[in-house]
Amino acid sequence: MSLRERLSRIRFFFRRPGVSELNEELQFHVEHAIEANLAAGMTHGEARRHALVEFGGVEQAREETYRQRPGWFLETLLQDARYAVRGFRRNPAFTVTVIVTLALGIGASTAVFSVVDRILFRALPYAHNDRLVSVGLVAPIIPEEFMLGGSYYQWRDNQKPFEAFTSETGANDCDLTEHNPAHLSCASVEQNFLPTLGIVPLLGRNFMPEEDRPRGPKAALISYGLWLSHFGLDPGIVNRLIHIDGVQVRVIGVLPKDFEMPALEPADILVPEALDEAAERREAPDTVMYAFARLKPGVTMEQAQAELDPVFNYSLNQAPPQFRKEVHLRVRSIRDRQMHEVRLAAWVLLGAVLAVLLIACANVTSLLMARAAQGERELALRSVLGASRWRLVRQRLTEVLLLSMAGVAAGLALAEILLRVFVAIAPAGIPLLDRARLDLRIVLFTVIASLVCGACIGILPALQGPRAVALAARTTNSGAHAFTRRCMVVGQIAVSMVLLTGAALLMRSFSSIERQNMGMETRGVLAAHIALPTYRYTTAQQQMDFFLSAEAALRRLPGVSAVGMSNWLPPAETHETQPFNNIAVSGKQRSMNGTGGMVSWRLVTPDYFKVLNIPILRGQGFTEAERVSNDQNMVVSSFLAARLFGEADPIGQHVQPVPNGPWYTVVGVAANVKNGGLSGADKPEFYRLRRNLVDDWTPWNIMVLKTSLAPAAVAPWVRAQIAQIDPTLPIEVETLSESVSKLADRPRFEMALLGFFAISGLLMAVIGLYGVISFMTTQRTKEIGVRMALGADRIDILRWIAREGFRLILLGGAIGLCAALALTQFMRSLLFHIGPRDPATFLGVALLLGLVALAATLIPARRAMRVDPAVALRAE
Amino acid sequence: MKDKPDSSAPTKDLLQGTLDLLILKTLALEPMHGWGVAQRIQQLSNDVLQVGQGSLYPALHRLEYRGWIQSEWASSENNRRAKFYSLTAAGREQLLEERAQWDRMAAAIGLVLGEAAS
Repeated sequence: MSLRERLSRIRFFFRRPGVSELNEELQFHVEHAIEANLAAGMTHGEARRHALVEFGGVEQAREETYRQRPGWFLETLLQDARYAVRGFRRNPAFTVTVIVTLALGIGASTAVFSVVDRILFRALPYAHNDRLVSVGLVAPIIPEEFMLGGSYYQWRDNQKPFEAFTSETGANDCDLTEHNPAHLSCASVEQNFLPTLGIVPLLGRNFMPEEDRPRGPKAALISYGLWLSHFGLDPGIVNRLIHIDGVQVRVIGVLPKDFEMPALEPADILVPEALDEAAERREAPDTVMYAFARLKPGVTMEQAQAELDPVFNYSLNQAPPQFRKEVHLRVRSIRDRQMHEVRLAAWVLLGAVLAVLLIACANVTSLLMARAAQGERELALRSVLGASRWRLVRQRLTEVLLLSMAGVAAGLALAEILLRVFVAIAPAGIPLLDRARLDLRIVLFTVIASLVCGACIGILPALQGPRAVALAARTTNSGAHAFTRRCMVVGQIAVSMVLLTGAALLMRSFSSIERQNMGMETRGVLAAHIALPTYRYTTAQQQMDFFLSAEAALRRLPGVSAVGMSNWLPPAETHETQPFNNIAVSGKQRSMNGTGGMVSWRLVTPDYFKVLNIPILRGQGFTEAERVSNDQNMVVSSFLAARLFGEADPIGQHVQPVPNGPWYTVVGVAANVKNGGLSGADKPEFYRLRRNLVDDWTPWNIMVLKTSLAPAAVAPWVRAQIAQIDPTLPIEVETLSESVSKLADRPRFEMALLGFFAISGLLMAVIGLYGVISFMTTQRTKEIGVRMALGADRIDILRWIAREGFRLILLGGAIGLCAALALTQFMRSLLFHIGPRDPATFLGVALLLGLVALAATLIPARRAMRVDPAVALRAE
Repeated sequence: MKDKPDSSAPTKDLLQGTLDLLILKTLALEPMHGWGVAQRIQQLSNDVLQVGQGSLYPALHRLEYRGWIQSEWASSENNRRAKFYSLTAAGREQLLEERAQWDRMAAAIGLVLGEAAS
């Protein structure tokens, strides 16, 4: 179409010739025809008749001419839309149900997908993403695969399957000590770390080999976040000197915005490991490193694992012989390294939300089908009155697309809200959740998918064309649809049965976590976590002095009855551990059979037991007097006592925890305290006394206070007391109940989400069931009337309608039960103290579902029961 | 019922294009009202081409919307108000173009038929 033509059409779009003009024009034509006919010698009537016959339908010509107008399409579209909206208004229950169902389905799935996308699917921000692996040894001492200094260099020099091999030694707290100080996290990496992963600094350069040597030039790469928050994106940051922990360091570059450590440690600053390679090779390796490597093209992880055998054997030979059986080689993708813990939960979540989506789709389809069945008569009527098939299809399409668009809009709003809720209630342990955003691609996909689905569902009945029978038959006949809808209801009930079971299992598991005995008192206990910056507190003496004066200061606080210290607090599983079989008991042979599992240990002060209310079962525990003595004493948990001494009296026994280390005298047996996290297995445990000797102190300490006042009121006093000693010291104060509750965040989060999905699934399934039964009832009003007229009483009718519902419920329930039995297996590791086939849970869920579904059936059935036969028979 | 089977669409398009050409040609002589156009086409074709009003007026309006013809109300030969159509500059160009196209087509068809005959 040429530009001129287009302009002309646009002009006519706005300047609309009136209908009267067209009428006049056509009238003129007919009159001329009549005149011509008269001239040809016809009578007046004949002339007129001929003219009109020749004309071939004034109305049709007018319609056809009108259709030529530019904008005719848009006009009819608006007309259709108006018509559809009128229809929605007449039937608000239908409209609202469809929109809410769509919104729930779309909203929940978009939000959940946005969250799990990064965990399960999206490529990691590394250029060589598909070939990067995490490599190392697995042993009971450290949960993830790791390397030790000496081994690492051996592997790096002799490995074959990788084209690049690099390491990092983890992230540590560090301080930016400038005019604008900040508490940061510094990760130490090898010089070739960034190139191996395929990361190019946004600004500046990577580390030079000489910077990765001990006493080499100090260099650092800063994160984009730090660059933004601290240096205002100043490009002049490169080559600037900053102070980290009091040392001058040159900034050599800025990391890309999406940079993250492969093990997801927080890293504001990257510094070189600067390990003394020669020393690490020579001495007993004690630097723990994490190794990452890039596979040569075409090499699989299995091949790499096999090819690593020689170097693995080298490391194995370095390990103490009795432990060798428990050391393994592990090569796995970085994603597995990052997400191993949340992966299952993410899949469960995704499964649940897809189930909800499925139920929602079935519901909407079912509702639209019911509407189509009801509207069939009208469609047939309009068709007879002259509407073209295309026009009818368009009408339907407009209706469905309007509904879809409303649903999508509501769904996206809901997704945004849900995502915010997820982020707000999610535990800290879920990686990258704080970065989850509504993904544009996902939004687009959802919108297109729902529009296409809507269009398909919507136009199918219209495309089939209204059947003649729709006009003739008195009751609408919709046998085929009814069957499909019933199948969908059965499916919905089955799926929501699975969802409900999953949610109920998580709920029961969560409540057993909450109800379990911790072995200690969490109420009225405040914990102050203090990490002394080592550049200011350089010696253990300074560190001890600080903590002792802090202890004295806190003891003076009103309402504080006891102040204890420990390096770690239960029930979290982060604490010191060592192999059980390293412990020697005097007079007994040390076991050489493997590690014997791990044993926890803590460095505590005597009041630790008092504050946490951990009973000393035998002996007396530590005393204040022992703090100033040189005695090496130990308190063991009753679990450890049983394993070490069996029936014998532990008190007075001599124990050596580490070969060649000091010997300790057991002075007490404490009750067991949970120490493997809330749901992990408990480990045996022993306590060493933190004496007033420099050897017993570290810069990291947790001070625990027992208070009879409200902990929230005491917390500021604690801060104030610490600030008096050192005003710039960062300190975290929280109640023990808070930190325990934080540990339960994960199961609570999983339970809340699955519960939400299960309830929405159930709700939608019930709406579906209700819809089918009440539709059926309406359709059969006449039949009911006939039956009643023939002598059926109301109970018979109720039974007749309800039987239909029962059949659907039973079938759906049975299918769902089988599916649930099969699927809950996968949740085993998410459950605590409860089997994935817990009979009580299954029974409860079946009962709940049955009752709710029954109610959904009985309401329309009761309505059917009340049908007045006289009215029903007269109605048509 | 104006529900036409889809198979007729190509034929209809062909006829429509031809009708457009005929209308443009007719109007090239002088401004005319719809009745006049129909009559003129019938006359010129020795009564072979009878333009049904059902397609004449849609075609006239379509051409007007495209800007090839324009219309104004004036009194007819017997002093009645009638809508007169006339060719615009764009319409004149379009006429030439369609004429050329038609000639090409007719020549091509003629060639084919001539060959088939021999």
